[in-house]
Amino acid sequence: MQIDWLTVVAQIANFLVLIWLLQRFLYRPITDAMQRREAVIANQLAQAQAALDDATAKAEALRDKKAALEASTQAVLDDARENAQALRQRLEDDLHTEMQARRNTWCEHLAQERDDFANALRRHAGHQVIAITGDLLHTYAQTDLSGPLVSGFIARLADLDDQMRQKLMQAAKGTESPALVETSVAFRASAKSRLTRAIHKACATDIEVHYAQDEAIVLGLRLSIGTQTVEWSAAQHLKRLDTALDEVIDSTGITAAAQGS
Amino acid sequence: MEITPDSWIVYDWHGWQLNATVVFTWVIMALLVLGSWAITTGLSSGPTVSRWQIMLEVIVTTIRDQIAEVGTENPGRYLPFIGTLFLFIATANILSILPGYQAPTGSLSTTAALAICVLIAVPLFSITKRGLGTYLKTYIQPSPLMLPLNIVATISRTIALAVRLYGNVMSGTVIVGILISIAPFFFPVVMQLLGLLTGLIQAYIFAILAMVYIASASRAGRSTTSESNEKD
Repeated sequence: MQIDWLTVVAQIANFLVLIWLLQRFLYRPITDAMQRREAVIANQLAQAQAALDDATAKAEALRDKKAALEASTQAVLDDARENAQALRQRLEDDLHTEMQARRNTWCEHLAQERDDFANALRRHAGHQVIAITGDLLHTYAQTDLSGPLVSGFIARLADLDDQMRQKLMQAAKGTESPALVETSVAFRASAKSRLTRAIHKACATDIEVHYAQDEAIVLGLRLSIGTQTVEWSAAQHLKRLDTALDEVIDSTGITAAAQGS
Repeated sequence: MEITPDSWIVYDWHGWQLNATVVFTWVIMALLVLGSWAITTGLSSGPTVSRWQIMLEVIVTTIRDQIAEVGTENPGRYLPFIGTLFLFIATANILSILPGYQAPTGSLSTTAALAICVLIAVPLFSITKRGLGTYLKTYIQPSPLMLPLNIVATISRTIALAVRLYGNVMSGTVIVGILISIAPFFFPVVMQLLGLLTGLIQAYIFAILAMVYIASASRAGRSTTSESNEKD
């Protein structure tokens, strides 16, 4: 083994120079480049973390918005339900009111029809009774109804109470107009003279009596002196028949309404 | 065959002789410096990095990790010295596959120079870090009676560093020369490949041992300081 000390010194110098050169051209540039890249990566990671945090915050905000939107939607739906319920209630009330009005109208119309029907039936029944009675009298007594009507009316005048009789007498004396006898059928002269005498007797005066025919008076006659009127006709019977018919119609209407409901 | 490149005089100028050891050392230095300069001129700090830059980063990072594994606190402080030791020895040994080349590490002068550098660097790093008194106290630890033994140990390990590297590289060269005379084709190729392996291993061993010596000196100084503090 030989050691050349000059070479040793030269190699030490070479080695020290090599250390400096490599530090200058290798270690420091490489270390700095790695540190810069690490800084860049750290910066990118920080940016990514910031972006992640931002995205998380935005996601949280979106969740809040979604929750608020759902709450708003629920509120709108509730409001819509309440409005629909109110509208339904109002329509039902309107419909109920309209139905009630139509029912009232129908009831009024029905009552009017019932009244019309009752009147028509009463009139028809009265005429039928008169016709049948007349036919029966003609058939079995060979006479008309004027005689029985006059006899009946005379009997009624005789049966008047004192208060009514006084009123007739005062009316006959207090008026200058003639008394008016309205009949449903034409009377014969004999019947008229009998009736005129009965009137004079009842009124205790010779008041002039005029005769007229009114088909509205059913099977009877009406005496009008001034403001006083005495009527004897089949109207009373018709009234009883009318009352009976009303009762029958009312009971029939109630039964029909009960069956309809 | 010349055993050492010291005896291969390349240039002689009025008695000043330039041997092959120095010349090949300059070649290695030029190769390392120019290669590093060529690669580090266009370093990238972005996501796209060239393969050469990656190679240098891997080398530097590996050396730094190896230094850190020895137990030092600041590997970057020792990187230029330890890294240069490894790169120089490894390059010198790898280039031995080139014909006409003789590794400078096959010269005892070179290995002695490197060992002397380590001999100087060990106290230098320790004194820089812990102070001169603390370093000198390591020679009388655990007892002042150990002072001669510690001095002998320091010198002997320096000599061991130089002789180990020199012996391995020189022996490889000698063995290849002998095998060429016996079996000119096959065995020399195998021995050259084996020489590459042993060359890298020797570079690693030299660098790691140097780092171990530096780290042990620094730790010994630190333990001495902590013991003194405990006594106080």
